[in-house]
This record gives sequence, structure tokens and C-alpha cells, in this order.
Amino acid sequence: MIDINVTEPPFALLDDAGRERIRAGLDLAYYARDEVILEAGQAGEFVFVIHKGEVAELDMNESSTGGRIGHYTSGDLFGAISVINGQSRYRFVAEQETLCYLMPRALFLSLCEQSEDFSDYFHQRLVSKTRLLAERRSDGGVTLAGFMLAKVHECMRPPLLVDPSISIRQAVLTLKEKGADSLLVDTAEGPGMLTKTDLLDALVMQERGGGDALEGIAGLALVSVTRDQYLFEALIEMTRHKVARVVVYHEGALEGVVELTDVLSYFSSRSYVVSLQVEQADSLAELNEASQRTPELIDALMAQGIRMRFAMGMLSALNGRIIGKAWQFSMPAPQRDRVCLVVLGSEGRGEQILKTDQDNALILPDDLEWPDLAADSRRFTEVLMDLGYPRCPGNIMVSNPQWTGTLEQWRGRIRRWVAEPDGNSLMSLAILVDVAGVAGDMALVDRLRDVLIEETRGNALLLTHLARAVLRFSTPLTLFGSLKKPAHGIDIKKGGIFPIVHGVRTMALDAGLRETSTHDRLSALARLGRLDAEVAEDLGEALSLFSELRLKAQLRCQRDDLLASDNVVVQSLNSLERDLLREALHLVKEFKGSLSHRYHLEYA
Amino acid sequence: MSVEASPQGKLTWRQWFRLGEYPMLRAIRRAADRRRQADGDFAWLFNPYTGDELVSIDCETTGLDTRRAELVSIAAVRIHDGRVLTSESLDLRLEPPASLDGDSIKIHRLRGVDLEGGMPVRDALETLLEFIGNRPLVGWCIDFDLAMLDRYLKAEFGFSLPNATIDVAQQYRKRMRRSHPELELQPTFEQLAERLGVPIMGRHTALGDAVTTALMHLRLDADALAESSR
Repeated sequence: MIDINVTEPPFALLDDAGRERIRAGLDLAYYARDEVILEAGQAGEFVFVIHKGEVAELDMNESSTGGRIGHYTSGDLFGAISVINGQSRYRFVAEQETLCYLMPRALFLSLCEQSEDFSDYFHQRLVSKTRLLAERRSDGGVTLAGFMLAKVHECMRPPLLVDPSISIRQAVLTLKEKGADSLLVDTAEGPGMLTKTDLLDALVMQERGGGDALEGIAGLALVSVTRDQYLFEALIEMTRHKVARVVVYHEGALEGVVELTDVLSYFSSRSYVVSLQVEQADSLAELNEASQRTPELIDALMAQGIRMRFAMGMLSALNGRIIGKAWQFSMPAPQRDRVCLVVLGSEGRGEQILKTDQDNALILPDDLEWPDLAADSRRFTEVLMDLGYPRCPGNIMVSNPQWTGTLEQWRGRIRRWVAEPDGNSLMSLAILVDVAGVAGDMALVDRLRDVLIEETRGNALLLTHLARAVLRFSTPLTLFGSLKKPAHGIDIKKGGIFPIVHGVRTMALDAGLRETSTHDRLSALARLGRLDAEVAEDLGEALSLFSELRLKAQLRCQRDDLLASDNVVVQSLNSLERDLLREALHLVKEFKGSLSHRYHLEYA
Repeated sequence: MSVEASPQGKLTWRQWFRLGEYPMLRAIRRAADRRRQADGDFAWLFNPYTGDELVSIDCETTGLDTRRAELVSIAAVRIHDGRVLTSESLDLRLEPPASLDGDSIKIHRLRGVDLEGGMPVRDALETLLEFIGNRPLVGWCIDFDLAMLDRYLKAEFGFSLPNATIDVAQQYRKRMRRSHPELELQPTFEQLAERLGVPIMGRHTALGDAVTTALMHLRLDADALAESSR
């Protein structure tokens, strides 16, 4: 009789007996349009599950925005918090004729008592709920358990540490004996990586003898991870640094090595194939081929239940490599290695999903001669377009002389933007704060960041101007109001992603942080005590959720050959996703509130 | 069992009479029943109802002829304060009747084996009376269900149901006649449910039909309220 979907959380968290009690214990009620279902302040007598119809949640203390803070539709549950707290904080009104199942208070509380999982669901923070979503998405979670949850130490080899005084012959014997591909050489400056390739190189190219000591052969530039990081992060590091192995540290001490081949035995996805393809590309045409495959890779990663932030990390590492290689292929030496090609905005933060417009710039050293710079940089923009990165509509590209320059030229621009903080200046500044180098002399990008921090430090007025943009787009919760044309959905980018990214960016600039990704900035802000650790974690999770929903919408547009859109159609989400979205939007709203308090936006 | 009205729309006088819908006759019969039951166990059923609850009922039978068909199952669900109390509903299966045959099984999908362990008729009727009390009854083409129940009640206890009744099919016809007098409306159960936006909850089970009927009634009632407040 009771036609309720018990396969979704929270009901899926109950055992069979609990679900049977639900089926037997629900009543039905019909609400006419505009009827108040639950009044603010009213005692919570029921938990409501919508069978059909739409319900709005209104905050009666906030008449300015219409007070709309939530929207519920078929399959959604509301009123649980009212039952737990004793009374409802908000008013619930039927937007359409609505048929609800009513779970009496006593039944709900007794189910909560019986099942900890069920009870937790209503008390949990966003972080734990999104985990539920990821688990469900991966269908039983085989790949999820196998890879996503795998930590570095599960796939780690013990380090083969040898003394630098041993001979090449001994090193080769050790490798053979242990069946390994690499050794760690214990040098004074720390462990150095020695691979079979290095040994071959020494013997053949440098014409060393088998009896020579290892000293001077091993490379020092070690990429390291900690033993408790996700294996996936190790893979991202390898892609980013073009290495096939990383060293594992635990509390400062060397603990092991992770080899790419070992990671692959854990993770047989196309991600490696694509990154391999990028690495092996010898021409722009080959690079293009690899570049075309990145969307399918992201699709596959998502389907396997890889968390959004790791998928974004993977994609940004790949894009960085593609753009970097394109730079190598198309620009003349030695100039190409002396300048620094940087990416800005979402690419700089490593947060783009699918291919975004090219936002890039060039930092030149003071003493460089590059007569054809103008022509070459225009050509580079064309090259990137051929690789599938559309032109930046704001013309923030190396082909624009305004976005190339020496450090002193950059300093001049930043000063001008700071002195005249109009809309354009603030936007340029915001984009530049997310700068990250992809090719050439990486030291330049660090110096640019120094300049940026020097020129903006302690400028409270600038921060206020910068922060104000967070309030530019109306509170996202009212976006649920456009239900008359439900197919249009809500703009998740303006409503959810932008306020978090920009707010966090402003706070990062305020704190003089060098991190560029929003997640890293959030961790850093929490570490510095500028943001409550829980809030930081929740905001990160909300951002991941928004990005994921946006990605899904974009992938769908791509499949159906529609124009790309940032709109998420709320009605097409399942009830768990809607529940999470609601909560995430609430978080954004609170974050905006705290920003406007911190940067005095109420008065500005 | 819900009877769909005949294709011509109106029931013949003979049918009206048989269904007991001839109002004067019903009133007379009720008065006589009440006198007879004055000292019986069920005297309280004849008191006027003062509460604000309704009960939606539905029966499944072995056929459409109220003189010969036999009861298979009876369901009832209370309506209180705009809510359908499905959590306290009544769903009774009776002992398999002699006339249970292929045709009726096709309609309600209850086979002989499904009714094994069913209640004796007398117990079922007593449970039903206890559940509905003297509350007004709601049903889809309720006259059919009343005729069936009355035949059984008469045989077992010597009286017919005295409760006031609301026929949802008629309730809808009346409403539409007011707003669209030109239309001659005889929607089926499914059509009306769809028109009112009420989901059909397990069609051709007694409880499912009783719940759907209750929802249709609430829906029609809410509409009436909206109209009068305009």
C-alpha cells in the first residue's frame, strides 16, 4: 500500500524489520496548493515524505529574500529536524497540490533509537553524507574499496637504501636480487632516486665503469607523499612531476617507495593510458589525440566513484602537462625555457572540469630578447585552440600584451589594480591570485606571487572591494524559485561554486597564502585558525558536490549535443543528491554571512 | 468491489431499488432496524455521530450481482483531520466462498489459497462494525458495497448499516455539474484518480481502493474549500 522508495537513504539504512515498520506505520495526507503543512514554531508531530508534489521551506524572519531556503519534491523527506528539536524553525508550504506520507513522531524516534545509522543520518554533517553518495554511486563499491579508499601504505615497497660508495655493479646486482626497478641512495642531502635508466645512462652515455661508485648518478629531485595519503594522490603527483615512482615518508622518516606499476595493479583505469599518451606525444597531432580523451577519462573516474577533488586534480595535472608540452613543441628555444607560462583562474586552482577557456599569461625575465614574442604568443593561442581549449572571452591570454610582462611590469599592473579597484581591476586581480606555472622557469611564478602578496598585504579596503563580489549573485536558495520553468534549473556556478571559490580566495589573499587550490586554501586557513576546521571541511565538501553536479550537467549537455550549461535541474536529481544540495547551499549562505561580517560588506 | 456505472450513465430504477439507494426506503428500514436493535449489542451504531472522522470502505466480491456475489475481502481506513490513517487500517480476508471462480479471481487476484486462513464471515463483520462504528462511510460507488454488506449483516445480525454515506463518484459528478453543467460525466475510477492527481494505490485490492478513494475524497473536499473561500 505504502509506495515508498526504501532503497535510498535514509530508509536504506534501516534493517528489514525497520522498513516493514515504516510501511505499516505511515499515514497519508493531501495538501492543497499554498496550504501550510508545518508552521514555524509548531511542534513537530510528523516526519513528512513527499509522494507527489512540491513543498517550499520558508524562513519567516527573512522577508527580504522571500525567505525561501529550501525546496522539496517527490521522494524528499522533511520535518525530521522539527521532530528532533521539538518544534519547526521554518514554515513548510505546499507549492503544488502535494501528497505526503506522514511518519508519526513516536515511530520516527523509535526507529532512530533502534538504528544508529538511521539516527546519524539526521545529525550528520555534509561531509559524511557525501560519502554516502559516493558509496552508492560506485555500485557496491568494488572499485571504490579497491582504489579510492586505498592508502599509500597499502601499495608501498620497503625502500632499498644503499650507500653511495657502492659500485654500479653492486647496485645492478641488488636490483636483480630484489626484483626492483629502483634504489634509494643515501646521500648527505637526503635520499636520491636511482633507476635502471639512470644506471644505463651512466654506463653508456657517461661511459662509466661497472666498478665506479654511485656518487653523482642519482637524481635528488624526489617527489614524496606520506603513508596515509590516498594512493590516488600519489598517482596525481606522478603525473604532475612526470615520474614513475614517489618516496613515502611517515613523520619525517623515509618509509618506502611507491612504483607506478604497483599503482596500476591497483588501478587499471584509462587515466594512466591517457597520461602516458600525453607523455609519449612527440608532436602536436599526437598531443591533440591524447587531449581529446580527457573528458572520457573524467567520466570513467567519476563512474568508479573517485572523489571529485581527486578527479579534478587528475584533470588539472593532465591539462597542465598538455599545455606545457604544447609550449615546448611550438615555442623557440632558449626563450621558451627562460620565461614562465602560467595558467590562471580555475586552471590555476586546478579546479576546472572538462576543458575551460584558456586563461594564461607569461612572466618574462628582465634580460630576455624575444623579437618575435608578439607573433609567437599569438601562434601559441592558436595552438591551444587546436588542442580544444577555446579562446578566453575576456582575452586573458598570452597573445594579449597586457597579460605578458616582466616582474616589474606585473608589479606596475598590480599597483594600478589596487589603486583603482573598479570591476575590471578586481576581476584581473582575482584571476591573478590563482596563478600557477605550467612551463618554463617556475621560479618566476613564485616571485610573481611574492609581488602580489607584497602589494596587497594589509590593504583592508581592497579586501572589502574584492569580497563584495561574493554577494553579487543573489542567495542561491531563491534560485529554487524558478520552478515555473523547472527545465532551466539553477545556476550552480553562480549560486554555489563562485561564492565559495571567491570567498576562500579573498581570505587566502588576506592571509598571504601561497596555495592556489580552494581545498588547499581551506586547509591552510583552518590551520592558521582563520576558519573553523569543521566549516573548512564542509565548505570543501560543498564545493566538491557543486562541481560534481555541474560536471554531470555538462557531460549530459555534451552527450545530447546541447550548449554547455551550468544549470542543474533540481528535479532530475535523486532525493539524496537534493538533500545534499540543499544542505550545501545552506552552508554557502552562512559562509557569505560570515564573509560580509568579516569584511564589513553590510556597510560598504 | 467497485461497480463502474453503466455505459448509459444512469442506473435504471430497478437497479436503484435493488441497491437500496431509494432514500425513503432506506430511512424507513433504518428506523425499523434501530427499534429492533435498541437493546442489542449494536445499539450504539444507531446513535448519531458527533466526531469528525470518516471511514473509507471497499469490498472485493466474487461477482457484480449483489444478490448472489460473495464477499472475499473487506477493507476500511479512517480519515481524520485531512489525513488518511493508513497505519491503522483494516484489511480483512474472509474464508473462501463457494462461488470463488476464475472470472472473479481475474479481477481481484485472490485465489482460494490466498484466502486460506481467512476469517469466518461473522467475525469479520463484527471486526468491521467495531472499526467503523457510527462514523459516516466514504466509498467509490458505495451503494454496491453497502448492498453487499447489508445482505451479509441482515443474515448474521438482522440489520443493515445505518451509517451516513458519501459516494465519491457522486461527489465528483455534483461538483462538475455545478461548474460544467453541459458535461455528462461518468469517469471511471482510474480516470477520476488521474484527473484529481491522486496516485492509485494497489488497484483491485480492497485496502488499495479504500485508500485511493479516501484520497480522492480529501482532494474533492479541499477543492470545495478553495472554491468557497474564493
